[in-house]
Amino acid sequence: MRAIVIALTALSALTAAISAVDGPDVRGSVRANGRPQPNTVVWLEAPHAAPASAAKIVLDQRNLSFYPHVLAVRVGTTVDFPNNDRVFHNVFSFRDGKRFDLGMYPIGTLRRVTFDTPGLSRLFCNIHPNMAAYVMAVDTPYFSVADTQGTFTIPAVPPATYTYHTWRPGGTIAAGTFSVDHDKQLEIDEP
Amino acid sequence: MRTAAALVVVLTACGSSSPALAQPVTVEADVTGGYTSDDAGALATQVRAFGDMPLGLRVLAEAAWAARSETDESTDAFGAAYPYGNRVQIMEAYAERLFHPGPTLVGFRAGRYRTPFGIYTRGDYAYSGFLRAPLIRYDGYFALSNNFLEHGAELIAGIPQLYIETSLGAPADVGDSVRRSGVDSVTRVQGYYGPWIVGVSHIRTQPYMPERFARGRSVFTGVDLRWTAGGVQVSGEWLTGRPFDGTSATGWHADVMVHRPVMGPVTAVWRSEQLDYDASAPYARWARRHTAGARVRLLRNLSAQVNVLHQSGDLTDAYRNALDLALTYSIRLR
Repeated sequence: MRAIVIALTALSALTAAISAVDGPDVRGSVRANGRPQPNTVVWLEAPHAAPASAAKIVLDQRNLSFYPHVLAVRVGTTVDFPNNDRVFHNVFSFRDGKRFDLGMYPIGTLRRVTFDTPGLSRLFCNIHPNMAAYVMAVDTPYFSVADTQGTFTIPAVPPATYTYHTWRPGGTIAAGTFSVDHDKQLEIDEP
Repeated sequence: MRTAAALVVVLTACGSSSPALAQPVTVEADVTGGYTSDDAGALATQVRAFGDMPLGLRVLAEAAWAARSETDESTDAFGAAYPYGNRVQIMEAYAERLFHPGPTLVGFRAGRYRTPFGIYTRGDYAYSGFLRAPLIRYDGYFALSNNFLEHGAELIAGIPQLYIETSLGAPADVGDSVRRSGVDSVTRVQGYYGPWIVGVSHIRTQPYMPERFARGRSVFTGVDLRWTAGGVQVSGEWLTGRPFDGTSATGWHADVMVHRPVMGPVTAVWRSEQLDYDASAPYARWARRHTAGARVRLLRNLSAQVNVLHQSGDLTDAYRNALDLALTYSIRLR
């Protein structure tokens, strides 16, 4: 029994320590001319952050669409591109960012791409002209994509002052500074 | 009337879609204008809606209108994926459900859909860079038609690397070649390995010509192949069969599409094809055609297509050489 109590106490202390190191969630919203800006990628510069652990993310092809339309990943992340349509798709990115052409593959199968350099990749399908998506690879663990209300949450950010960046489809990259504090929100209002 | 009813059902289902579903219903439209040195101009538009429904169903409905101005009926330009009959027509209108338990794949589709023989989807022809259907898939050339549609049900089963799709229904064609009513069946087996995708198809259906002239059933078997690597896509189809008793048709087409990073928005295309229609004299016909061209993505929603072709034979009345040009504007609303 004593051993169990010691173990639980140690676990509790460890959890508290990890929480203190990680810091609070950064919540906020993105607006332009007062209107919410969904699908805006927001990230905080963190050049000394720990290396990324291997992560696997899915960018689905379904109903002749990429889902999600905008995806943010940390550099080094491998993204799965499953085809969940009865028709063939041919995903490619030629313009900038990670350049690749996955070729055609049928329903129920997938191909993978590792986004190993930072930057924006514009994805299209060579068979369906209205299919388009964006993958923003960022060299930081602190990033998020705004939801339909233009709000976002970046989890567990250590308290400090950061340079933040934003990008949204059709827009350019904007930047500012923000000090992370427990009850402070990052409200971004773009012109 | 049955088609209109099917469309109403599908569109009603689209309209009742909830934003809480995995993907909302999407509506998109394409408008194409074109000109060919065969002395014809063309204008076409398609509107389609598709998305997720309750119970895991997915739906798609598409309507098309297209017209061609020409001094005579001498060209087969612009008929790559749609008829040019100068009236609004319902193309596909179906619901489907797919299951992916473990490594297996099972699904069904019901409604009005393109005849699942060989390379048959809209995307394979409407945005391929070619402005004409392959000879073996053009209305009235004694083989199959890209405007063949089914009213029926289709089942697919297997694993992603090897599955069978089988359809049972009745012809519901649009365009100039409309098959006679009756029951028809189509079966296609598809295998996938690395960059290779191979299909084998078989159809038993009704001829599209009057019974007094075309007796018996129309039966075709075909093999289709796709290969992609490094921005190069090769696809093609070979088929053989009888359009009706006492005749036979054999043909093929091989397409190459090249889209390498250095080419930016340009996709280069090449097609070689042949069709032989064997019947008692003087009805036998043949044609061979080569097409070179490009599809250029000018803007996000605007693309241009240019084709230059040379043909020989007596199957078609088109000029020996032709230049086809088209601009397509596509927009997606959600």
